[in-house]
Amino acid sequence: MNANNDVRILASRASAPLVRRELSRRGFLAVAAGAGTTMLLAACTTPGGSPAPAATGGTLENALSIYTWGDYDAPEVLEAFTSEKGPRITLDSYGSNEEMIAKLVAAKGTSGYDIIVPTGVFIPQLIENGLLYKLNRDLIPNIQHVDDAYLGRVWDPNNDYSICKAWGTTGFVYDKTVITRELKTWDDFFDAAKNEASGRTSVLDDPVEITGIYYWANGIDWDTTDPAEIDAAEKFLLEELAPHIAAFDSYPGGAAIPQATHALMQSWNGDARLGIMNSPEPERWQWVLGSPATELWMDNWAISASAPHPEAAHAFLNFVLDPEYAVAQIDYIGYHTGAKGIEQMAEEAGLGMLDMVFFTPEQLATMQDGEINEAQERNVEIWNKLKAAAGA
Amino acid sequence: MRNRRLPGFALALPAWAWLAVFFIAPVGVVFWYSFGYKPGLFGTHANDRLSFDRYLEVLTPTFFDTFVATMWIALAGTALCLVIGGPVAYWMAVKAPPSWRGLLLALVLVPFWTNFLVRTIGWQVILAPEGWASQAAQAIGLPAFDILYTRAAVLLGVVYNYLPLMILPLYVAFDRVGEPLREASRDLGANRLRTFWRVTLPLARPGIIVGVLLVYIPLMGDYITATVLGGAKGNMVGQMVAAQFQTAQNWALGSAMAVTLIIVIVLSASVVGALLWLVSWPLRRAHRVMLTEASR
Repeated sequence: MNANNDVRILASRASAPLVRRELSRRGFLAVAAGAGTTMLLAACTTPGGSPAPAATGGTLENALSIYTWGDYDAPEVLEAFTSEKGPRITLDSYGSNEEMIAKLVAAKGTSGYDIIVPTGVFIPQLIENGLLYKLNRDLIPNIQHVDDAYLGRVWDPNNDYSICKAWGTTGFVYDKTVITRELKTWDDFFDAAKNEASGRTSVLDDPVEITGIYYWANGIDWDTTDPAEIDAAEKFLLEELAPHIAAFDSYPGGAAIPQATHALMQSWNGDARLGIMNSPEPERWQWVLGSPATELWMDNWAISASAPHPEAAHAFLNFVLDPEYAVAQIDYIGYHTGAKGIEQMAEEAGLGMLDMVFFTPEQLATMQDGEINEAQERNVEIWNKLKAAAGA
Repeated sequence: MRNRRLPGFALALPAWAWLAVFFIAPVGVVFWYSFGYKPGLFGTHANDRLSFDRYLEVLTPTFFDTFVATMWIALAGTALCLVIGGPVAYWMAVKAPPSWRGLLLALVLVPFWTNFLVRTIGWQVILAPEGWASQAAQAIGLPAFDILYTRAAVLLGVVYNYLPLMILPLYVAFDRVGEPLREASRDLGANRLRTFWRVTLPLARPGIIVGVLLVYIPLMGDYITATVLGGAKGNMVGQMVAAQFQTAQNWALGSAMAVTLIIVIVLSASVVGALLWLVSWPLRRAHRVMLTEASR
């Protein structure tokens, strides 16, 4: 594939934002050109859709439509918004950022969604394609309740388009009745997968999470685009890990942990926590934060560029950032919402297993932001090869 | 009156229009995309430069291995459905009291009342190593069964989900042969086995072919059943296509994979059809001889 692309990149990291902007503009024009030639999309409008009317703090519209990850908000918070502020909420869900973006792009501004919740690494793409509404921060004073540590991330340094909704990290869970020794690092994970948990190991069903294990274990930059490093990751994962994988499961907390289907599962912290709490034998499971390095992903509140109800959308963002609702949210989804002082509130509310939600500064220092880069295609290729090898 | 009637094909127009807009056009778009390329990091497809390069990229060992695994599951699943569904359909159409048939048909259709994903996940719960079925087995002294995330679980799910699609056309086919022909066959001295092989089965052949195609074709594209119950052992080529569209955002390569899949399904269905024809050739030849003798 690469050989046939006009666009290849060899540039310093500092110039990456500029290069990326050029790249995606060309990419987007090409997409629009391709779409224009197809008969179904012939009536194509301005890329990114018609701009929404500006939100100025006027009267709220009577409806609000939220397009987010499945089961990602406490129902009582949504109900409280409708009863206090008025707009009726329509909720729709997606299973991946790509799915959400594809829908927004294909709808060309007619999707009708107001609020979307993209993961940070996808925000540059959304901004470049004109899919995000520039927030009117005057209408969202409650952003003051968000911890500065979770604002101004690389993908949106001034929070012009997005505000932290929840963040999490990656580690693994193991069954202490099967693996009786203590596991601490990604190297231990590989070792247990090859031994006690062979054929009973699951990994996240996501290309960068799987290659991530190798990079995090070996002190390699997770965002590497160095072909030699990518090849080494492929070789190791195919030869050492693939034969022992039983499943590619992004949400082992849903069924695999409560049903004790596997003995060793790569998982996100909040999902693992809910799984252990739902297990009939919670003491059987041990959570380990990935080490020596792991990731920090963040899902963010954002408003669609073509939002039909921008006033209601801003009112909702301000409403949901109110610390009053932070505990309800954290209890429901099991992830840190980024609110200031939330750890204390959660402790006072008596929520369990908080060491899987809140991390020490030392642990936080080991968590890396990812990025979408040219390695994505190779990552998907490795992922497919792993699946073929594990299924053989 | 006669002049004012619409021409016959007018009745079929809505169906043709539907197929044209919602089937032929999307497949055409996929064909078109498959000759394009992925333009840079955030683009999904572009067609300003056309080539067959994507097809060369499709033909990797990974695609081939995954394809063979998919084909194995699809063929084994279709064969199992035929072996299990055939006798059931025959019994329903021929042996069961006619007054039961409505009820039996309704029972075959009952699973369709629930979404198939929900039903498949239901099997996951049942088959889990510490699920209730395994615990029940252990309670009566059997070993705990550990078939979740194996090929066996995949086939179980496939048979469960696709069996009605095999039974229904077979039922219709066996039913249409009708009692009078079987009676005539027996009157002419054929025993029951001979009646089945010489009369019922050849006449039911279109139904068998329809049933096989109805199971085999969707099964080649289905990856939900296989992944939910098979985990890594249920890797299907449909998953790879979905991954190109969704995760890699490479619609050009995904389209080329989809087109390759369509071509191979058409080819393999033709091969299966040709095989069925060849297998039934001696039967038909026997018929011809019989008819010639009868006409003398």
